[in-house]
Amino acid sequence: MVAALLALTLLQSIDSAPPHHAPRTIAIDERLAADAGIRLGDRIVLSSTPDGLGDTVIVSALVRRRADPSEVARADYRVRMHLDELQSLIGYGDRVDRFAVATRDSASTPSAIRAINAAAFGFQAFASREIAVETSRTFLVVSRFHRAIGVITIVASAIFLLCIMLLKVDERRRDVAALRLIGISARSIVRSVMVEAALVAGVGSLAGVGIGWLASLLINWHYRAVYRTPLAFAVVTPGIVALAVALSLALGLAAGFLAAQRLVHVPALELLTGRRERRVDAAAVPNA
Amino acid sequence: MSDAEPLLVARDLHRDYHMGDERVHAVRGVSLEIARGDSVAIVGPSGCGKSTLLNLLGGIDHPTSGAVTIDGERIDLMRDRDATRFRLRHIGFVFQRFYLMPALTAIENVELPMAEARAPRGARVERARELLTYVGLAGRHDHRPAQLSGGEQQRVAIARALANRPQLVLADEPTGELDARTGAEMIGLLGRVNADGTTVVVVTHDEDLARAAKRVVHMRDGVVVDDRRQDGR
Amino acid sequence: MLFRLAWATLTRHRARTLLAMLGVAVSAAMLLDMVMLSSGMRVSFRSLLLSRGFQLRIAPKGTLPFDTDATIPDASGVTRTLRAVPGVATISPVLGGQLHVEVNGRAITSVALGVDPRVQGDYEVLAGRSPAAPNEFVASDDFLRASGVRLGDTVSAAAGFDPQLRSYAGQRRLVLVGRARFLYMPAEQKSVALPIPTLQAMRGSDAEDRASLFMVRVSPGANVDTILHRVETALPRVSVVSTETAMRQVDERLSYFRQLAVILGAVSLGVGFLLVTTLVTVSVNERLGEIVVMRALGVVRGRIVQQIVLEGVAIMVIGALVGLGLGLGTARYLNSILAAFPGLPAAIDFFVFEPRDAWAALGMLTVAGIVAGIYPSWRGASLPIAVTLREEAVG
Repeated sequence: MVAALLALTLLQSIDSAPPHHAPRTIAIDERLAADAGIRLGDRIVLSSTPDGLGDTVIVSALVRRRADPSEVARADYRVRMHLDELQSLIGYGDRVDRFAVATRDSASTPSAIRAINAAAFGFQAFASREIAVETSRTFLVVSRFHRAIGVITIVASAIFLLCIMLLKVDERRRDVAALRLIGISARSIVRSVMVEAALVAGVGSLAGVGIGWLASLLINWHYRAVYRTPLAFAVVTPGIVALAVALSLALGLAAGFLAAQRLVHVPALELLTGRRERRVDAAAVPNA
Repeated sequence: MSDAEPLLVARDLHRDYHMGDERVHAVRGVSLEIARGDSVAIVGPSGCGKSTLLNLLGGIDHPTSGAVTIDGERIDLMRDRDATRFRLRHIGFVFQRFYLMPALTAIENVELPMAEARAPRGARVERARELLTYVGLAGRHDHRPAQLSGGEQQRVAIARALANRPQLVLADEPTGELDARTGAEMIGLLGRVNADGTTVVVVTHDEDLARAAKRVVHMRDGVVVDDRRQDGR
Repeated sequence: MLFRLAWATLTRHRARTLLAMLGVAVSAAMLLDMVMLSSGMRVSFRSLLLSRGFQLRIAPKGTLPFDTDATIPDASGVTRTLRAVPGVATISPVLGGQLHVEVNGRAITSVALGVDPRVQGDYEVLAGRSPAAPNEFVASDDFLRASGVRLGDTVSAAAGFDPQLRSYAGQRRLVLVGRARFLYMPAEQKSVALPIPTLQAMRGSDAEDRASLFMVRVSPGANVDTILHRVETALPRVSVVSTETAMRQVDERLSYFRQLAVILGAVSLGVGFLLVTTLVTVSVNERLGEIVVMRALGVVRGRIVQQIVLEGVAIMVIGALVGLGLGLGTARYLNSILAAFPGLPAAIDFFVFEPRDAWAALGMLTVAGIVAGIYPSWRGASLPIAVTLREEAVG
């Protein structure tokens, strides 16, 4: 029936035709009012077919629809009227599409469902939570998709970080060699590289949080305008920030560690000269 | 240009640098003529401007004032692209630190200038082999610089400098990073290069290398203080 | 020699070169996926709409096909009117509904399509045949699995419920004659198709001479837009949707994915660009001495830039080729996630590979590789020779 509502056609406003009886009142959603230029108090003709006779009604209320994510992509219009009037208008008889039932308390819901289903024929009762899960399936799919993209991005970032750290550490191979030659331990060098990597990753991730927050503002502004909804499309929560920063730090530290480890395992002299020396055993050298 | 005319003429060369707030006069009014087939050693204490002078003579640096003519061409007035092309065909460089391409083998390093001069592959490979044999590295064609000793690397550098049959070879401290024995070998090699007709100008601290040259130019504080022949001419 | 030197330089630092290529591969894979995503849905949907050759769809006024429960009255009159429109070759009416099939004491409910089996465009017969008699039907694999019904079986089916009488309404005995793949149904949707008059009769007065949708095939060579306007003129009480209009509607509803594809694609390209430009910059800084010596030897600046840029392009191109394989793999995975969208026809893909997508991604990455290498290489090749040599000697 709700779906049938969407097939209703609003005909022209009638300002001058005298009513046969006191016109009924309806409520329309603000999107319909804005798009069709309908104001409070306007008289319109409501019909179930495009060229049907229909009923004259008065718009007595404008309604803002609840921000329902499952309906955000649908650009349909909504009209609210008394049940019996709609049943009469569309020839539905004594039928409805669904009932919404409120129980005294949540504890009595399961027994109410059982009782209804035992007596029901041709319909079934569900808890609201079950319906919510069903209608949320779209968003579960979108969430999984976003998560998959997120994982790919993390993998790409990890490789990128490792490559950059490798380059940066390689750039300073002579400095590292000189430090090793004057007695600084490999461990100290690795630690210093990791501190640097952590700082870079930390500052970078904070910058990334800032960019992400700004991007979320932009996303919400854009899609709220596109879908004409107050829904939030992107939300930056403390948990998300903590996860992003922790992940960046972990990846940065790992990249720094791997890059530094690679370098400190090369003999210092080889780092300095670029020449790989072959070690010669004394036993292999004649007359040694 | 006849053989009687000098190959290289430098007139009143000046080169100034800015080091912070200070203005350094690295070369002050140096004039020089170098004949074809000559070998010249430019000597002097550190910081006297000899390497700067060599760079000016080779066209890899521009004088603040003055002129440099090689084989009748004013190289100080050339645009970068023309000066580069001129160096490719007329001048060979040998550096103290060799500066071979570490990713290329010995023979590929020698081929590099010939490839740039669009020599056909067959011809340049053959010439590269010849040059490596000439400098005493017949069996080391496929070795990378990291697999060669300092002396061997410098030989490859000399072979590279001779790739396009330049009229002039400029060497900046060619024995600077070599031990005495290897240095002596290098002196001998450069002598052979000169004997075969190439004009050689070296900048050096090495007294033996200076003694081996036919002419020695002494510099101090950016000026030539002495210029004498050692070959009795 | 240019290629040789570029390749030799890359292979000199194998680890960093391989890592950079891997980084580019992941970026390339993401870029390819996003290029596929930006057009895939469109390509797939269009292909689905035209798979049976129907270019127009007629739905109740103001709705899209099967978007609502609304139906078009006077279906036979509409059919007559359509037949009279010049250029209309085939008309396929469709009525939607539900069918409850009783099997072993339980009811299996499925989506039912009333069709004209001779001209229908809703299913492909996989086994058996299309209904030829009023009491025959075909069913999807999901229905057959759920019900256990086999080809040739007769079942008791109803189109609705009568709550007062607590019984099924519109009951008939139907014979399963075919197993079919329903083109527009979501995966795991139990579906059946039977002759439209049968379903109309089973549904009773609510569905008498009504249809949910008409699919129209135009004559070969006819202009679809012209036919569309003729139909709109002849039938003002309905909405006529061409394939292009349907595509536009789909584009609007799924604009999010296109925008996401553009943004992620741009980010991927940017990451690849950053990686290569960083690598080239570090590589140039490491070999300033070599670069100025090449200038001293007589190699012109442009050639040096070419050689260095070639290194960046090599990383990008090789990385991109690896990324192509990776991208096809990740596209399959991502597609399987999005294919779970409720209500989405099983035949729809979000990621559709077309060779031009691969070329587009490769082209973008090559250009990015060139641009990434130009600035650092030009900077390195433009350094003053003498000054740099001196600094390198001191350093």
